[in-house]
Amino acid sequence: MSIERAELRETLASAATTPVMAPASRSLIRQAYHDTLATTSARIGLAWLFLLAFFAVFAPFLANSHPFLMKMNGTWSSPALRHLAPPDVLLLIATGAAAVVGLWRKFSFLRSLGLIVAVVVVAAAPVYLLVRPPVNVDYSKYREALKSGGIQRAIFAPVPYSPRDRLRDQPNARLSAPNRAHWLGTDTNGADVFSLLLHASRIALSIGFIATSISVVIGILVGAVMGYYVGNVDLIGMRAIEIFEAIPQLFLLISITAFIQDRNIYVMMAVIGATSWTGYSRFLRAEFFTIRKLDYVQAAIAAGLPQRVILFRHMLANALTPILVSTTFGVASAILYESILSFLGIGLVDEASWGAMLQQARAGGAGFVLWIAIPPGAAIFLTVFAYNLVGEAIRDALDPKLRKRD
Amino acid sequence: MFSYVVRRLLLMLPTLLGVTAVVFFVIASAPGGIGASLMSAEGGLRPEERRVMRAYYTARYGLDKPLIVQYFNWLNHVSPIGFKPKIEGFPHWPIGFKAPDLGEAFSTHRPVATTIIEALPITLLLELLSLPLIYAISIWTGIRGARSRGKFVDVTLGFTLIGLYSLPSIWVGVLMIGFLSNVEYVHWFPSNGLHNLMSDSMTFLPTRIHGHLERGWLVDMAWHLCLPLICLSYGSFAFLSRLQRGALLESLGQDYVRTARAKGLPERAVVYRHAFRNSLMPMITVAANILPGLIGGSIVVETIFGIPGMGKLTIDAVFSRDREVLMAVTLIASLLQLVGNLISDLTYAVADPRVSYVD
Amino acid sequence: MPQQRPLLEIQNLSVGFDTNRGTIRPVAEVSLSVYPGQTVALVGESGCGKSVTALSILRLIPSPPGRILGGRINFEDRNLLDLSERQMRSVRGKDIAMIFQEPMTSLNPVYTIGDQIVEAVTLHQGVSTKQAYDIAEESLNDVGISDAHRRLQEYPHQMSGGMRQRVMIAMALSCKPKLLIADEPTTALDVTIQAQILELLRKLQRERGMSILLITHDLGVVAENADVVGVMYASRVVEFATVEDLFDHPKHPYTEGLFKSVPKLGSQVDRLETIPGMVPNPIRFPAGCKFHPRCHRTRACAAAVESGQAAFPPGTMIPAETAIATDSEGERFSVLKKCAADEPSLGEVQPSHWAACHVTENFERSPRSLPQLDHRREVVPAIVEDGAITV
Repeated sequence: MSIERAELRETLASAATTPVMAPASRSLIRQAYHDTLATTSARIGLAWLFLLAFFAVFAPFLANSHPFLMKMNGTWSSPALRHLAPPDVLLLIATGAAAVVGLWRKFSFLRSLGLIVAVVVVAAAPVYLLVRPPVNVDYSKYREALKSGGIQRAIFAPVPYSPRDRLRDQPNARLSAPNRAHWLGTDTNGADVFSLLLHASRIALSIGFIATSISVVIGILVGAVMGYYVGNVDLIGMRAIEIFEAIPQLFLLISITAFIQDRNIYVMMAVIGATSWTGYSRFLRAEFFTIRKLDYVQAAIAAGLPQRVILFRHMLANALTPILVSTTFGVASAILYESILSFLGIGLVDEASWGAMLQQARAGGAGFVLWIAIPPGAAIFLTVFAYNLVGEAIRDALDPKLRKRD
Repeated sequence: MFSYVVRRLLLMLPTLLGVTAVVFFVIASAPGGIGASLMSAEGGLRPEERRVMRAYYTARYGLDKPLIVQYFNWLNHVSPIGFKPKIEGFPHWPIGFKAPDLGEAFSTHRPVATTIIEALPITLLLELLSLPLIYAISIWTGIRGARSRGKFVDVTLGFTLIGLYSLPSIWVGVLMIGFLSNVEYVHWFPSNGLHNLMSDSMTFLPTRIHGHLERGWLVDMAWHLCLPLICLSYGSFAFLSRLQRGALLESLGQDYVRTARAKGLPERAVVYRHAFRNSLMPMITVAANILPGLIGGSIVVETIFGIPGMGKLTIDAVFSRDREVLMAVTLIASLLQLVGNLISDLTYAVADPRVSYVD
Repeated sequence: MPQQRPLLEIQNLSVGFDTNRGTIRPVAEVSLSVYPGQTVALVGESGCGKSVTALSILRLIPSPPGRILGGRINFEDRNLLDLSERQMRSVRGKDIAMIFQEPMTSLNPVYTIGDQIVEAVTLHQGVSTKQAYDIAEESLNDVGISDAHRRLQEYPHQMSGGMRQRVMIAMALSCKPKLLIADEPTTALDVTIQAQILELLRKLQRERGMSILLITHDLGVVAENADVVGVMYASRVVEFATVEDLFDHPKHPYTEGLFKSVPKLGSQVDRLETIPGMVPNPIRFPAGCKFHPRCHRTRACAAAVESGQAAFPPGTMIPAETAIATDSEGERFSVLKKCAADEPSLGEVQPSHWAACHVTENFERSPRSLPQLDHRREVVPAIVEDGAITV
């Protein structure tokens, strides 16, 4: 929980104490990248994250009550594709773009990232206009139709249940232990646990990424404004940071989310992002103050170069790397916060979430359902663990103190 | 030192003002405002009763006034200095000392101060028990790791510790209750609350009654506290243990350690007298960072284990959208945090002679 | 000369550090000796292995990665390398004490000066804490710290750098060691304080008759303090002689270069000479003589050989063959083949003067003996009295 914030602060602090001599060279970053990949633990972490990303992107094809292909009254159709929501389609487009850019290997990392974002932005409008999935969904009708012969043939996803499919046609299937039909059993509502697990990975990953991006953006903006304008602006900014740090983060999160009626995923991202930016601001501000004092910056300012240009160029080269490293820990803590909020019942409403599944495992607060308790907890653990392993490896690779030792 | 502490305490006031303002406006800007949550409990009332009740609340909390007025109203209630109500038969000064009033809980209609006084000691107990526990164990394992640096023990310990602080406490809590206090598996620990139902009739210490040993009030509580304490502590422990290891390694590389060795001191004295004392500095610094984790963690732990502390109070207040309780809890939690920061800074000054607050 | 046995005798000491690019050897086959009451200076550029040598004497090399690969360190008829860790601890601080370059960080910031001195005193002298405080106070008086009683209660951060170095000396001398190893004791200090500290060391040495092994890169410090000097270059001792001999008749081209790069009082020079190139990195020591890529003598000889008029110093029996060498900037030039292929070991090229260079008078004929010089300085050699002559 807030340990991660402390962790992050520690990372930033150790980055801050390393002498800022010259902009971090490209070769250092490349070396760090290779060192990171050479670490076994980082490899394990990355492997899990890639697997998770795969589940997240293709969840509608891995677990879906709608048949992939079906033959009804002699005509073939694909209800699964028809029920894809606009975000699903956009995610697929983004993944496709990423695959193409990644395999082509023609662009630098930042440029590829820009390209993918551009593709998504361009595609967004037509996708939201054209993709209109049916509003009312009856998950059990395919099973019934298949049984009664209304559907002649159907090809289902590997897990033929959607996370919201409460198996209304099988009232006895609630809380059933793992069996051949439900590999990980069903929950109190009758939903398939494996399907929930797969679909929840999307929530976890997207909240982790976007909430952290939001906090980094806020953190950088506030920190840069404070560091650049010093004086009164800095004074006000520091008080704001102190105020935010005086409230334990989970506490603030609970207070805010509880009073929001419509808790959709975007709100959760915004709230988590808006409460975890202080570390980044502190770091960036401190960095500005250090750099101001450097001799060659002073010299450049004395020589008449605009201070703004020097400070910001230096910032980009120096401070961003440690900030990006610490976002790894930020993502881990955002995922943890989301799961805690969902667990406490003030998270997402009516969405598959690992934390909410864990709550289900207590079956109303008193019981214990083994097959619901193990998978989501393990998923949260592995994901947070993976992020922490990767973060540690990157930090070690970038730490000049360790580097000097070889 | 004294003037430093006073200054720090005074500096807390603006921060607390900011904290309460942030939380107040967040709560108040919820759709329907605070009024909406009050109305939720009045389903069974007749229209005229409802009207009377609304009028009462509107007058009591000034719900028809702008938010800023409501906030200052709240502040005035809470602050020990402020506008005093006029009481018949007494001379009236509009501003002066008065008894701070945390208000009345929306949901339970009890004074908030009473609820807090019931809940706070329990949470404080949890935290004050876990802090020394965490520090003791993590210092020990940290030293172990540093001294066997690069060896098998150290590497496994390091990996395990990252794993440990990646473990979500909600999962650990659920699993502990599910396996360790469940008749289906082993029922070693109680699953709920802080006391056995019969604990009121127990003696304080374990005693022999009618030929069999009764565990008594104290042991009963300790037994109830075991799982919650573990659940609350392990994450911070993992973090601190890694920190201690790093700090000790850092100190062991310092010049004064070489000096100590050159004096001919035995390795134990070098490590424990010279390196260790210096490696405690970062441990003291992060105490301020551990605290929000513990306060936040107590929300999770108290909810899972059904312990009636501040965390449980918070969650209940959140669900019943109880503004008065939530504001009070916010105030107390941030106060705890700020006092924790201050204590950490003061401890640092005691531990490191280079830092002094004599000015 | 009085017939005495050396107090400390290092024979062919080699130290290795394991890195992930293989083992490097910052100290290779170093031999030197220190007689009772003598000051031996070990001089060289940073990274030449002099500090590692000093730390090896007390076996304070951080291990891992450091390892003593071979050799002997005889101290009063005992080989320190054979002692158990326990026996070694009774030598440290008691028989051999050490002071370090950085007085700012060499004292523990969280204990008072008194505590730190008393710690050593009680450890080695078996006295009560109260007596130990008296001894500590006395040793602070000895190093010229006034108001010693009050100073004992102070913390290191309350003192200046020079004061802290005095405290370090007081701590080192509190147990009356026979040998004091001073590892660049004045480098981090102001010039005026440097002179005071060195004067203090000289005075204490006269009073107590202890030996000093002075590690420095400051030729001025050497000239003023040393009886005997060993010059180190890239892990080896390349020259060992009395201070007078060395300053008046340097034999090794590296030592020659050092003196040429130092200004002399009274001489009119427009420009000081420098030694071309850089100190090699221990990871990539050159083959053969480690100095040959920077050596003017081998270049001159090779040029002479190539122009057909070989003119070697008298007594050298070196084949007139040349080879191509590359310096640190990648520039290529001719050197003598022998210099590029064989590493010379220390030989007594003149009585009481050891050097390790193929192209030195009498080198091939000189006996390969361990350097031992029981010599005390008589006069200050004719060089500047400026403390700031650095290598």
